[in-house]
Amino acid sequence: MGKRAKTSRKGKKAWRANISTEDIEDFFEKATKDALSGGNLSAAPSEDLFHVEKSHDIPVKRKIEKHRERVLRCDSVLKKNPFVQTVSSSKPKSKKSNKTIVIESKTPKQAQKDAGDDSVMVDLWADDSKGEHESKPRKIYKKTSTIPAVEVDPAGCSYNPTTESHEDMLAEAVAQEMQKVYKTELGPEPVPLTIEGDAINEDERYFLGVDNVSDGEDDAEVENEELEAGNKLARTTKRVTRVVLNKRSRQKELRKKETKEKYKEKISTEIDSLPNILEEIAREDEEKQNKLLRRTIAKQEVLKIRPPRLGKHKFEAPPVQVLLTEEMTGSLRKLKACCTLARDRFKSLEKRGILVPSKHIRRF
Amino acid sequence: MPKHYRPAGKKKEGNAARYMTRSQALKSLQVNLSLFRRLCIVKGVFPREPKKKVKGNHHTYYHVKDISFLQHEPLLEKFREIRTYQKKVLKAKAKKNEELARLLLTRQPTYKLDRLIRERYPTFIDALRDLDDCLTMVHLFAVLPASDRENLEVKRVHNCRRLSHEWQAYISRTHALRKVFVSVKGIYYQAELEGQKITWLTPHAIQQVFTNDVDFSVLLTFLEFYETLLAFINFKLYHSLNVKYPPILDSRLEALAADLYALSRYIDASSRGMTVEPKSDASSSSQSNDREESELRLAQLQHQLPSSEPGALMHIVADNNKEVEEDEETRVCKSLFKDLKFFLSREVPRESLLFVLPAFGGMVSWEGEGAPFKEDDESITHHIIDKPSAGHMYLSREYVQPQWIYDCVNARIILPTEKYMVGSIPPPHLSPFVDNEAEGYVPDYAETIKRLQAAARNDVLPLPGVGKEDLEDPQNLLYAGVMSRAEEAEAARNKKKMAELEKQYHEELKMELRGSAVDVAPVVEEVGEGEESVPDAANTQTAQDTSDMPTLLMSRKKRKLYEAMKKGQKKKSEAVEALEQRKKRLNAGQQ
Repeated sequence: MGKRAKTSRKGKKAWRANISTEDIEDFFEKATKDALSGGNLSAAPSEDLFHVEKSHDIPVKRKIEKHRERVLRCDSVLKKNPFVQTVSSSKPKSKKSNKTIVIESKTPKQAQKDAGDDSVMVDLWADDSKGEHESKPRKIYKKTSTIPAVEVDPAGCSYNPTTESHEDMLAEAVAQEMQKVYKTELGPEPVPLTIEGDAINEDERYFLGVDNVSDGEDDAEVENEELEAGNKLARTTKRVTRVVLNKRSRQKELRKKETKEKYKEKISTEIDSLPNILEEIAREDEEKQNKLLRRTIAKQEVLKIRPPRLGKHKFEAPPVQVLLTEEMTGSLRKLKACCTLARDRFKSLEKRGILVPSKHIRRF
Repeated sequence: MPKHYRPAGKKKEGNAARYMTRSQALKSLQVNLSLFRRLCIVKGVFPREPKKKVKGNHHTYYHVKDISFLQHEPLLEKFREIRTYQKKVLKAKAKKNEELARLLLTRQPTYKLDRLIRERYPTFIDALRDLDDCLTMVHLFAVLPASDRENLEVKRVHNCRRLSHEWQAYISRTHALRKVFVSVKGIYYQAELEGQKITWLTPHAIQQVFTNDVDFSVLLTFLEFYETLLAFINFKLYHSLNVKYPPILDSRLEALAADLYALSRYIDASSRGMTVEPKSDASSSSQSNDREESELRLAQLQHQLPSSEPGALMHIVADNNKEVEEDEETRVCKSLFKDLKFFLSREVPRESLLFVLPAFGGMVSWEGEGAPFKEDDESITHHIIDKPSAGHMYLSREYVQPQWIYDCVNARIILPTEKYMVGSIPPPHLSPFVDNEAEGYVPDYAETIKRLQAAARNDVLPLPGVGKEDLEDPQNLLYAGVMSRAEEAEAARNKKKMAELEKQYHEELKMELRGSAVDVAPVVEEVGEGEESVPDAANTQTAQDTSDMPTLLMSRKKRKLYEAMKKGQKKKSEAVEALEQRKKRLNAGQQ
């Protein structure tokens, strides 16, 4: 901006009135705006600024039609669905006609026999390899436990065992029995159904617990008396003088100092023993790890002998099937064999965790 | 079903969300308890033990996913359908409309378990792997008496019987049987099929009883599934032999309760005579008519085969040469009782022996009608008898107790028959399922058998490398059955020395693997010393040596593990010692 001719400079007002820069500023503003927006809009031709969109133009009439084409849900439900089979109210006739055809071809007995034949039996695993690709077997089909389905009896259970192994088995059987006996002997005595003595009267029954209650009240009274006595003693103590107070404060300060020092000492020793502490932590960690390992192993070991607890009752192992010494004859003909294999199977199912063990199976 | 909606502020996570109790499951599946149990058994869904039992310890828990798996089972819908149908029948009966009830009963909806079997056992091997329980159950129900109270029909018992016989016929035909063990509980068999060891238990030939502590309805549900499974497996196995399934049996033999023999004859006849095309005759009715005819012809052919012809089983043996895949063991099993003819007395367990003897290549006959040859046949080599004394004795044959067969089978050699003579108490029947080496204790009779085996092996194939353990002329000794004291001791010493050397070698290998710089020389030296001095001393020294060395080198963890192992070994050896002492005491007591 160039210099203007000198005018009166008396006061700001006059100065302002004299010089007006508005137009210039306006111009500059406009120029920068145009430069930034890419040109003067008023100068540009209207074709550049607007154009008529013609690509997706739907006539109004069709739009309305489209709207009308929409089917209400209530109507669509009533329409026929190709995936849903219709249920006719009357019985289908096709069954009857089928039947007659069968009768024509052969007698029903023959037909039944045929059904039991090849036409039903197909090789399920004809495409084994394909089956492997198709579907992974479900995780469920993994065995529930590691116990084999058919556990082979130890050598001592042979019908004609060696004496050593037989004695071994006998010992085991005896141990099993004795365990039961000891359990009943050493366990808590069952509550007897009846006890000796006279029956208690209705009136006496009300007074049964009364004595005990009164005893409790007595105790409380005694305690109260003691407390009162303590209060009286407290009142009789000496008054605290200034000297004593000073002494106390001094001692307090001293104690504070001592504790501070002690704390310092402690920290220094701890810093010194830092490697020891680290070691201790490591040891503890290791112990924890070992404990965990031991526990898991123990659990697995237990699972080898008996199933997990699946229900209300525990699994009870069946007795060992072993011959008594006097029953050992060495002859297959005279063998006193086990005739309850069904129980063995049932127990095996329970042992493998497939069935839930229960106490009373048969309800009469 | 798990609840999709969860009330605000109530989070269900962890075990509470993952497991549900049985009653919850029943509610979500909308079935009753018995149906639920059936469904679980058939689908192979079992209860589980959650870590935290949210509802308490006295509940049975199922995984939520298991239950949703059950929910998607089409069988569930089928069961419901059957239930509604039964209601219809009941209603008809209640209205005294007998005719309608009868009509409805004839058209009852049924269900099949084929798809489930395929689902649970995607491959044939999977099915074989899980066959133990199935076989045991089917064999058990084959001998149970039919009972109205337990809902066990005659038809099912017969079906079980047929299935078990078909299985046995296949096993004996392919010589897949490996071990037999007669225990008090029953007879254990082990067969090997496609590399899978299948063990099953069959009851003794006595009356089996229903006990009160067994829920037979559960067992019957299991049986239902197992029957289907075994039928499909038999189908597959029979077709692998090019034999049609289900077999058509000679009705005369069937009536005489000699199903197994009839089956083996059938297999023999059909695999010799015709090649079956199982695929071609599957569908149309005209073809099935043809099949009917061919079946009839086949049955007639079987009739024409003279039933007393002894060769029926021999043909099986002869035919088997054609089969391609045969491993060493099968060959041994096949030729064990080759060229031997057995005759079973009335009192021996016929079912079992009829199964076992052909499985090891023998020919069998029995007392009764329909038997392939009579008792007075001159060519019979062994007569199986279980009486204190035999009446009329033929000189041309040996009279043995049935245990001899089982022992021979387990030892894979023909044992001398002196100990198994009529009227004598046979030697102990050892379990073939016990590994004596692992157990550490070897019964006397097992050792005799071992010696006999070694002798037989040398006899059959005199290879220089085989007789490693018995270094000097073992045959004479072994045939004599007794070893002279000195030689025995020497043999034992040799064995010990070998074992020691081997042990040392292993130890050295271990050391090398561990990468420790240990001088091998002193160890060798010590072993040299040991050989010169008394073997026992050397043994202890080396043992000490080897026990010291690792403890110094190993980390604490390894050392502890090592100690634990030592402890276990000690325990075992103590147990063995106890057994030996017991035996000594027994011997002393007898003298």
